Amino acid sequence: MKVLMKSIEMIAWFTQDGLPTPVRFRMEQPDGNRIVVSKIRILKRKEEKLAGNPMMLFTCQSAIHGREKLFEIRYELKTCKWYIYKM
Amino acid sequence: METNRRVIFHIDVNSAYLSWEAVYRLQHGATVDLRTIPSAVGGDATTRHGIILAKSIPAKRYKIHTGETLYSAKLKCPDLVVVPPRYHIYLQCSKALISLLEEYSPSIQQFSIDEVFLDYTHMDPHWGDPIEAAHRIKDRIREELGFTVNIGVSSNKLLAKMASDFKKPDNVHTLSTHEIKEKMWPLAVEKLFMVGRATTSKLHSKGIFTIGDLATTDPKLLVQWLKSHGRLIWELANGIENSPVRKDFPVKGLGNSSTLPFDAEDQKTAHRALLSLTETVAMRLRNIRKSAGVLSVSIKDRDFQTCSHQTKLDVPTHSTKILYQTACRLFDEVWQGQPLRHLGIRTTELYSDDLYQLSFFETDIERQRALDTAVDEIRAQYGCDSVIRSCFLYSGLNSMMGGVIQEEYPMMSSIL
Repeated sequence: MKVLMKSIEMIAWFTQDGLPTPVRFRMEQPDGNRIVVSKIRILKRKEEKLAGNPMMLFTCQSAIHGREKLFEIRYELKTCKWYIYKM
Repeated sequence: METNRRVIFHIDVNSAYLSWEAVYRLQHGATVDLRTIPSAVGGDATTRHGIILAKSIPAKRYKIHTGETLYSAKLKCPDLVVVPPRYHIYLQCSKALISLLEEYSPSIQQFSIDEVFLDYTHMDPHWGDPIEAAHRIKDRIREELGFTVNIGVSSNKLLAKMASDFKKPDNVHTLSTHEIKEKMWPLAVEKLFMVGRATTSKLHSKGIFTIGDLATTDPKLLVQWLKSHGRLIWELANGIENSPVRKDFPVKGLGNSSTLPFDAEDQKTAHRALLSLTETVAMRLRNIRKSAGVLSVSIKDRDFQTCSHQTKLDVPTHSTKILYQTACRLFDEVWQGQPLRHLGIRTTELYSDDLYQLSFFETDIERQRALDTAVDEIRAQYGCDSVIRSCFLYSGLNSMMGGVIQEEYPMMSSIL
């Protein structure tokens, strides 16, 4: 996996307790095309607060261009922004 | 350690600004850890704030010092990576550190943005042996917050602070009273808290070079040479210090200063800069509900010559208008017409503002107070730029100078 750390557009659902689960997202590729990634399987979730900046980390798997891929997405609580961290 | 003795921790973040910047960048996808390369956090040279604020350990090997200009640092190390400061991130890191430490003791004193005292006395039944607890705290900070700290463990704040300054980074050190001779006395005298540049040269001229030399000098002689400060540093050199770990620190004075983006060459520009500083200082005074009894103005000219002038106010006040008028009067008395690089104002003798003295000569005190309150409320809600005085438009000066960010930022104090 390569570090990308790019902000993405996300559809997620939140439980009553405020726990988010990513559902599908759209990201821009280096060639300018945008791809939609859906049917996300969450393999692992973790919270971190490095530099006092809380983030939720999700290690996920989904089919991208017909191939199963592993990737990591991050949700930054302070800014409410979603990032694709590694793919 | 005996159970009836105080146990104080001093937690000191290693190369704070730089570590915090490095961790934040790594969290946001940076591939290089600033701590592993020659790097520094530096101010903006275009506004004449171009000095090194913090440097990495590899940069230290090039003999780069905090406070030196970026220009001279680049000469020493052309490959030095310099990043601008982001004070909001540092404040956030500092707050996260405090909230982690609050789990270990109710008695915590934030001494500056990157230094904290923690009173561990009687905490052993909860968290175990102090040294082991200090190691656990240090490791937790590294794992959870991503930066390293040094922890000094001792029986008072001074010794704990001295201990945390021993070998860095990521270490726990002890300095108990019986270790003073062995660990603290061989150090250079300028390493001692409260011994600054001026005191160091005075001590050197008397043949005092180490903390041990100072500790074994007759305190009467030191009082003769340095007045009450001599007694204080003699006590510190002998590890005598018993101030409590305090949450609410008594504010003795309050001031702001700033290097101007350009030299102020005429009275009008200098007065405008004073107004900008007064706006900041007066608002901070009102926020802590204090009035100032004494006002001082300091100036630094193009040749780095400094001088200051102060006066006692007829009536303690926190009015922007009165403080500004007084600052201008003081400035006019002291200024010889030379181009100015840096201006500062400071208030001391602070009184509670619950009561205030009415005066025959000030007719609009009530209206001024109402105006100041209204402006403060607007600025608190919509930001400091929401209401500014028109004289700052196109002046090249910020409407509220001084300080690093709008929020109250914990700066280092000279009182433990």
